[in-house]
Amino acid sequence: MSGRDDKRSQAATGPAKTAAAAPGAQTASGAAAAPILEAKDLSISFSLRGRRLRAVRGASLSLRAGETLAVVGESGSGKSVLSKSFLGMLDKNGRVDSGSILFGGEDLAAYTKERQWLQVRGKRIAMIFQDPMTALNPLKTVGEQIREAAALHRGLDRKTSRLAVLETLERVGIAEPEARYRQYPHEFSGGMRQRAVIAAAVACRPEVLICDEPTTALDVTVQAQILDLLKSLQKDFGMSILFITHDLGVVAKVADRVAVMYAGQVIEEGLSREVFYDPRCPYTWALLASLPQLGVKGEELYSIKGTPPSLFKEIKGDAFAPRNPKALLVDYEAEPPVFEVSPTHWARTWLLDPRAPRVEAPDTIARLRGRLEARAAADAGARGPGEGGKA
Amino acid sequence: MRRDLPDLGPELFRPAPFDESKAELTGYARYSYWRSTFRTFLKSPVSVFLLALILVLVTASFVYPVLSPVDPNQVELDTSAWNARPGNGHVFGTDGLGRDIWARTWHGTRTSMLLGLVIALFDVGIGMAAGALWGYVRKIDRIMTELYNVLNNIPQTVFLILLTYIMRPGFWTIVVALCSTGWIGIARFVRNKVITIRDAEYNVASRCLGTPLRRMITRNVLPYLVSILIMEAALTIPYSIGSEVFLGFIGLGLPIETVSLGNLVNLGKNNFMLYPYQLTWPTLVLAAITVSFYIVGNRFSDASDPRNHV
Amino acid sequence: MSGEAILSVRGLGVDYPVGRKLFPAVRGVSFDIRKGETFSVVGESGSGKTTIGRAILRVAPVSRGEILFKGERISGRIPAERERALRQGIQMIFQDPMASLNERAKIDYIVSEGLYNFRLFKDEAERRAKVEKALREVGLLPEFASRFPHEFSGGQRQRIGIARALVMEPELLVADEPISALDVSIRAQVINLMNRLKRDLGLTYLFIAHDLSVVRFISDRIAVIYRGRLVELAEAEALFARPLHPYTRALLSAVPLPDPEIESRRRFVVYDPSMHDYSKEEPEWIEAEGGHFVLGTPRELEAWSAGPGGAGA
Repeated sequence: MSGRDDKRSQAATGPAKTAAAAPGAQTASGAAAAPILEAKDLSISFSLRGRRLRAVRGASLSLRAGETLAVVGESGSGKSVLSKSFLGMLDKNGRVDSGSILFGGEDLAAYTKERQWLQVRGKRIAMIFQDPMTALNPLKTVGEQIREAAALHRGLDRKTSRLAVLETLERVGIAEPEARYRQYPHEFSGGMRQRAVIAAAVACRPEVLICDEPTTALDVTVQAQILDLLKSLQKDFGMSILFITHDLGVVAKVADRVAVMYAGQVIEEGLSREVFYDPRCPYTWALLASLPQLGVKGEELYSIKGTPPSLFKEIKGDAFAPRNPKALLVDYEAEPPVFEVSPTHWARTWLLDPRAPRVEAPDTIARLRGRLEARAAADAGARGPGEGGKA
Repeated sequence: MRRDLPDLGPELFRPAPFDESKAELTGYARYSYWRSTFRTFLKSPVSVFLLALILVLVTASFVYPVLSPVDPNQVELDTSAWNARPGNGHVFGTDGLGRDIWARTWHGTRTSMLLGLVIALFDVGIGMAAGALWGYVRKIDRIMTELYNVLNNIPQTVFLILLTYIMRPGFWTIVVALCSTGWIGIARFVRNKVITIRDAEYNVASRCLGTPLRRMITRNVLPYLVSILIMEAALTIPYSIGSEVFLGFIGLGLPIETVSLGNLVNLGKNNFMLYPYQLTWPTLVLAAITVSFYIVGNRFSDASDPRNHV
Repeated sequence: MSGEAILSVRGLGVDYPVGRKLFPAVRGVSFDIRKGETFSVVGESGSGKTTIGRAILRVAPVSRGEILFKGERISGRIPAERERALRQGIQMIFQDPMASLNERAKIDYIVSEGLYNFRLFKDEAERRAKVEKALREVGLLPEFASRFPHEFSGGQRQRIGIARALVMEPELLVADEPISALDVSIRAQVINLMNRLKRDLGLTYLFIAHDLSVVRFISDRIAVIYRGRLVELAEAEALFARPLHPYTRALLSAVPLPDPEIESRRRFVVYDPSMHDYSKEEPEWIEAEGGHFVLGTPRELEAWSAGPGGAGA
């Protein structure tokens, strides 16, 4: 528990830091690599049934080179819309209202022509979806589809691209690639289709791979294989992965860093360990505390009342306030700014303001930390005298 | 969006009162299927115009005969009034017996429209009931499919002519002729839709609750078919009117005393070279009705698809 | 929780016609559910778990075996009064709240559907009172009865589905993946509700799921199903502490836990069904320890018992 108090006092001396804390700030410890893809104060809205739906309201996140950043949120949080905007794939009735998307020295949010996107989409930033059938053409053989994409983006001739595809198919774990090359998508099982889609994305050697809930519709054992595959591909090709999901177990497995989204904003971002063991936003608390995997039998699970706010209306203050029993009056008045918890961890909550009262995280979080520290102590004990528990 | 911290007084950093029931009331989407359907439909100016046109024509054809003193069957004894050009007194002119074509057009439209509506009602009524059962009860699928293959491949025109020969040419003959083969097309359409709905979870839920087949069809299936049925009706009307005109054209239509569009066309074609207005005006009204119903029916079908509700 | 069985499944087999052939979705499944317990069946897609639930409720045909409810057979041909008793005694909660309610019907009708079917009320006032009671029990306001499903959120719709089942005053509830289609923050609401109802109304649950880690929290006993056959059955904690069957081990190793430090240490174990050689010896349903059953040959059981302990933390 002492570790947590240290962090608290760090945040308590906060005011000077808030002005300087821009998400994605570079510091010596923690974040090693430079951001390869960065969204800054992005706002995206849709015109729906005569009204304006603000799907993303000033979201900022940064993906560092070579890492896996998980974006966690529920339906309506804006995570899918945000990721689609990185590829210019918003629906026709959507538009980027303000903010910027920095990639390779350019601002993707300023792109107006399809021609500009063609240089990026598939070639430098690729995306895989929850349903592989949205990416696969049922009328063409799998091999041919992947070959076309690879040939186009890497400028290869027919023969070379075919070999590259066979190689990639093998690499993603599809046995008998020559036979499978000639097959059609409907002849593949769900897990194999997802592998084929990954092959298609990776065959073009993109710098960034965006995965939008790629394993949600798959069986648990297949999911584990696909996640392992993605990790090994990342290591081999040095891709940076943006992984969108609502499953905190998957996040724990794949993510180096985590960004939590709620009602169109990124409300907390940090290293995986920081977000799981030392979350600061009440929404993150609620999310973790309500997981049955972390529940104690016989006790009621912590449950969040109500539903996310309507994004058609202007939201005043903290979007999570109406559902937060520990909300402060200021949460209804003003939107919380970004507060820095550590050089690698920031959160948007008034609780980190020095004037805020001390609010305890739910028991579940404390239990999670407790187990971590117990394990660390056991390890240290087994190892003999050495480093103490690291929070 | 960063705010300057000094703006906020320290008293704001106290806990706020929390009302649980307020949280329960959020999450409402005031989305009404029918409202969205009409809104999508009315977005297109073409749809609005044609719908208005239909309303005008239909109203005129039903109201005019009631209000106007002109008798469409009034034969002029004064031969100078025969085949008069449009103008002074006769908006569409007169035909070979001096009868006012304007009056005859509207009376005729009313008759033809009535025919179309009756046929649409029977077709859709029978087709809907049959289609719902066909889709829901797996056992009869094979028989019905065979029946469909037979009925659908009967050449409509030949059947129409044949039946009119056998029965006397008349209103109900045409109704029987068109309905006896028309219903199965609608039934097929309905059956396809029912099959998609049949295994939906809410239907499994109804079966778990022991809901009898009859109520499953009326409450679980039919409400989803309403939009299809409106569209089918809208498309059947022009088809029926067209068939009546066709029959009239070949002389097998409604009795010569009845004023109908078909009979007007039949008579008008005889003098087309000399007095084209005797044919063109009724034909224009006919075309306006047919095209309008057809387009409006299709547009309505598009609008009732929830995927088109933006 | 008393020891008597409220539901008994004996040698259940369900075949589905696929083209000309028959596909065995469920093969020889047997288990008992005791009154007052939460019994979970866990498996992946195609394992037959949903089919078991549907066979119990008579919406899937039973090809072999039988199902007994409170000692009486409810599968195959049964007299009408027994079917009526079945519909009141056992009800089902469905997976997808967006698909399991009739969009064109008011909540009032949806919740009353079962009452109408069996005329379970004297007059209109009693019916309305029952609907109101059911809605309150799941935490919804009675005025919701005059609204339509599309006006509610996923979590609320799922609770309406539960109210629909509760109004029949059942003893056994079959929950077919009731939380997998819900948002993460809503799942806790529904789980809490189901636990509370179990306590207050003395319900028994058959919980069908694919997520072992969720099931651990709510179950008393868990059965693991693979390709139509049960491979292991034990009390929840015993299953996690000492999984015996290699498929159970694989399943446990595959489910990711929301704890990054643990995850970084875990390795996923693949299950290869061809590791069994059942050509010479048929596997049996063996009781390894009190109440802990496994499908395998005695020799396999020896090897598995000697192996490493649980994969769950």
